[in-house]
Amino acid sequence: MKVSLNWLKDYIDLKGIASNDIVERLTMSGLEVEDVVDETAIYKDFIVAYVKEKKKHPNADKLSLCIVNTGTEDLQVICGAPNVESGQKVVFAPIGTLIPKGNFKITKAKIRGVESYGMICAEDELDLSDDHSGILVLDEKVNVGKSIADELSLNDTVMEIAITPNRPDALSHIGVVRDLAAIYNKEFKLPSLKLHESSHKIKDFASVEIEDSENCPRYTAMVVRNVEIKESPEWLKNRLTKIGLRPINNVVDVTNFVMYELGQPLHAFDLDRLAGHKIVVKSTEVESTFTTLDSKERKLPAGTLMICDGEKPVAIAGVMGGENSEISNSTKNILIESAFFNPASVRKTSKRLGLSTEASYRFERWVDPSGTLFAAERTAQLIAELGEGEILNGVIDVYPEKIVEKEVPLRFERIKKILGYSVPNEKVISILKRLGLKVKFESEKEFRFSVPTYRSDIEREIDLIEEIARINGYDNIPTISKISISLGEKVDESSFVDQTREIACSLGFYEMLNNPLQGESLAEITGNRIQVLNPQSIDMAYLRTSLIPGALSVVAKNINVGEKTLHLFEIGNVFNLNPDKEKIESFEDFTEVQKLLFILTGKENEKTWQQPEKSFDIYSLKGIVDSYLLRLSLDKVVADSYYNNEETIFDLYYTKSYKGKILGTGGRVKKELLKQFDIPQDVYCFEFDLNLLKSIKSEGRKYKEPLKYPKSIRDLAFVFDKSVTYEQVIKFIWQMSSELLKSVRIFDLFENPSLGENKKSMAFSLEYFSDERTLTEEEIEKEFSKLISEVSKKFNATLRGT
Amino acid sequence: MLEEKISEINSGFNQDIATIKDQKQLEELRIKYFSRNGLVSQLFDELKNASKEEKPVLGKSLNTLRTDLTAKYESVKIQLENSKEKEEDKIDLSLPGTRRIIGSKHLITQTLDEIKTIFKGLGFSVVGGPELESDYNNFSALNFPPNHPARDMQDTFFITEDFLLRTHTSPVQIRVMEKYKPPIRVIMPGLCYRNEAISSRSYCVFHQVEGLYVDTDVTFAELKGTLVSFAQQFYGEGLKYRFRPSFFPFTEPSAEMDITCFLCHGKGCRVCKHSGWLEILGCGMVDPNVFGNVNIDHEKYTGYAFGMGIERTALLKYGIDDIRIFFENDFRFLRQF
Ligand SMILES: [Zn+2]
Repeated sequence: MKVSLNWLKDYIDLKGIASNDIVERLTMSGLEVEDVVDETAIYKDFIVAYVKEKKKHPNADKLSLCIVNTGTEDLQVICGAPNVESGQKVVFAPIGTLIPKGNFKITKAKIRGVESYGMICAEDELDLSDDHSGILVLDEKVNVGKSIADELSLNDTVMEIAITPNRPDALSHIGVVRDLAAIYNKEFKLPSLKLHESSHKIKDFASVEIEDSENCPRYTAMVVRNVEIKESPEWLKNRLTKIGLRPINNVVDVTNFVMYELGQPLHAFDLDRLAGHKIVVKSTEVESTFTTLDSKERKLPAGTLMICDGEKPVAIAGVMGGENSEISNSTKNILIESAFFNPASVRKTSKRLGLSTEASYRFERWVDPSGTLFAAERTAQLIAELGEGEILNGVIDVYPEKIVEKEVPLRFERIKKILGYSVPNEKVISILKRLGLKVKFESEKEFRFSVPTYRSDIEREIDLIEEIARINGYDNIPTISKISISLGEKVDESSFVDQTREIACSLGFYEMLNNPLQGESLAEITGNRIQVLNPQSIDMAYLRTSLIPGALSVVAKNINVGEKTLHLFEIGNVFNLNPDKEKIESFEDFTEVQKLLFILTGKENEKTWQQPEKSFDIYSLKGIVDSYLLRLSLDKVVADSYYNNEETIFDLYYTKSYKGKILGTGGRVKKELLKQFDIPQDVYCFEFDLNLLKSIKSEGRKYKEPLKYPKSIRDLAFVFDKSVTYEQVIKFIWQMSSELLKSVRIFDLFENPSLGENKKSMAFSLEYFSDERTLTEEEIEKEFSKLISEVSKKFNATLRGT
Repeated sequence: MLEEKISEINSGFNQDIATIKDQKQLEELRIKYFSRNGLVSQLFDELKNASKEEKPVLGKSLNTLRTDLTAKYESVKIQLENSKEKEEDKIDLSLPGTRRIIGSKHLITQTLDEIKTIFKGLGFSVVGGPELESDYNNFSALNFPPNHPARDMQDTFFITEDFLLRTHTSPVQIRVMEKYKPPIRVIMPGLCYRNEAISSRSYCVFHQVEGLYVDTDVTFAELKGTLVSFAQQFYGEGLKYRFRPSFFPFTEPSAEMDITCFLCHGKGCRVCKHSGWLEILGCGMVDPNVFGNVNIDHEKYTGYAFGMGIERTALLKYGIDDIRIFFENDFRFLRQF
């Protein structure tokens, strides 16, 4: 909300207080000043000048050569504006002036060979409007040689204040003044009322009836007759333009002015357009349509609180008036509405209609129910003054159940308990009194305060403590660096994921983070997708069901910019609706699982002077996955399964599982899918369920003594039928060996015509040792030769000479 | 007789070995003295002819001789081998080595880790919670009444009427307080979602770290102390800071913490919107209504909570001017950090 410092000063004496101090103190007491425009600082160097003479520029058709009088001297100035004429009073920027638009300084310049000693300004250059059609021509009355800061009332300080939702009371100049009064411990005054009421009684001209008093607890109305609708006076237009409002006519401007003055939204009806000169406040019973004063037809759901006349609705209560009763230039008689509506009701209507106005913004936060009468009178007075109207005698004030001031207790010792320091009791009482609270009960330990009805946010003891803290200043709360020790058990639920990240990095992978929101075409690839009810765009309308589709998009994007070798990992949550569910009604209806994805494509290593180039292949992926599990000490308990022709997104597909539970899946991504992403090269990826992996993570590694006895290594090579897999052989080797065999490694694999048709050679290196003793040649030999004969028999394999 | 020969061979060997220049001469020396028919072996053969009385003495002398000479021989051999290596050491050291690729964590993770480490050092546990949350945990339990304008502070992606994508990590506070009894001292990092227009300053997903401390004597003063200690560790010792009143439905009193803009040192610049201050986090004392919702006695216990955005923090710390880059995963960006 924009607040004018000059306007604030109408109600409080701030003499001798610098504007930056006000900005600082407001911010530090909870009314955060986000931006400040100090007009005096901006405009002090611009002066009113008189154009004495205008000639054509000797070298340029569109430029004029002017002699301007600045009050002290005559200066030659080149001007490009079409409307500059001699005899005008204009805004002149002498050399050295900083121009707000574009933030540049005026210097002595030579324009097409002629010297120019300043600039005659247009409105846009002064940041007063976007108008650049010509220079700003001033009124005859302004004084030449004076600063425009004074002559044009450009001497205000306008603050943009961010009002938090708990402080609707501060959504007006008086609201801000109330806080300033408490901060500076000063008095403030409300605008004074001088109502010249006519002898005609309002009751004879209008009536008000509330049918739905729950949603409209109070409705105050006044009538001003024989008003002339016209332009507002300068002072009023000036007030409104400073805070960013466009003046319209005296009646509309007054209602806006009073809203920004007192915080009470007001509406002016053309009384003669109200059937029966009557106001009825009621909620609609059926769905209907209504045309608001912005000429838009709006669909109203049943149960919308409306202001009606004797026949029809004339305004959406608290939101916007209707076209059918709005003020026009021919309006004579005005009914002023100053009401208090139920905040939740206004918010509901505003949300349903998608229509938020300055009025609804205030009503849905809370306006002061006790303030409607004063606001109505203030409005009536100003309308009558500015439109030469006649205020009818009396007020219609329907207020069936008075909203009373709340009483809130305060135990002084709780202040220290919450804030960590003591505020003297007298100071506590003084602060609360300055904020308009009244002492209702007092004892040594506890006071009871009544809270003015405009402070809807103060209901509990803690709310009073907050008021004390903010007015006394958060800076006054000590900063205690002693940090107490909590005895609770320490946990770090992220440690497993952290360890996973470390391993992934050490394996050469870079971490990526993708937006879990994606389009349907991605989300549907890998699972049972969950839709966002109110997405920002269709390509962010679903939650990811797996990390893979998002990662493939990243691969595609990077290949596009020439990054063809990628080794990336991601840790993130994926979401799947349970297959038997249509809609989420409980946490049991969907899964949210943390996953880890490794994805790789391109070259495992570039060709160097030492080694040939190698592309990533399925064995690169397998190696990485196994290294990861090894580092987690899970390599011994996790089993692989390999598949062909499964219904997956992989053509080479395998899984890792533990006790029948699948921990992860991956392989080489199918070409068809890659095509969908426009990826022209092989991509390998593997995705783990981290929730499962975490649950089986081994109980922690134990120290094992380094081996004391020598190892014996035996190599053997067999020729097998091509159909025999590595896995079959290795499983059999383990099965046929005693516990003396500690590791088996395949170190050679090849096919060659010399081996025979459909044959291949696999060579293994076997490691035997014991933790307890040195093995004898005989026992190893015995075990080894038994193995050779068993393998030969089992696979019909022939031993090759090694 | 034999004794003299021993001494002769000893001095002869010493003379010979002094002249050795290369491997070939060394090998000749080895053959002359240590081969099967070499001079030392011959002496051992002669030992057989010695008398029973002399044998032990002479045997000992011979063994000593052999040990001595072998040692000298070995030492010259090592010398020669070393000098040979130098000769052949024509390797071009300027050739590049074989590089190992070490990956890296995302900049957001790195920033999060840094924050986590500091708070762990201050005695905080680390817990997580789901991103697809109930409206109750995300709003109602945190004292955002239904139909209250406070909800407008956080534009929400809804899944159903009652489920949504969490708009902050604060619902984890509710989960933690429902699960554990005080004292509770945790931080809760995680991903959050806001239905806000995407720009260089805001993205629809972002990371937050939430903090919560509940015990019998937790005060605002201690909240200030903890956060100042954090800020000094994270941003540097000498920084200036301020706490100013703010509003969050789940804390009261509430505050925002600003630190001196480290880009302009408080003079005012574009990044700090010419205020000289940068807002780094929101915080406050846990609202009694929140305690009520999780059945913690708010007369007995007090608590504080705080929350900070990680992307914003990383933007400031690394001088990045567009928040969207964090989620683009351009490999050239990822490799920089
Ligand atoms: Zn700055």
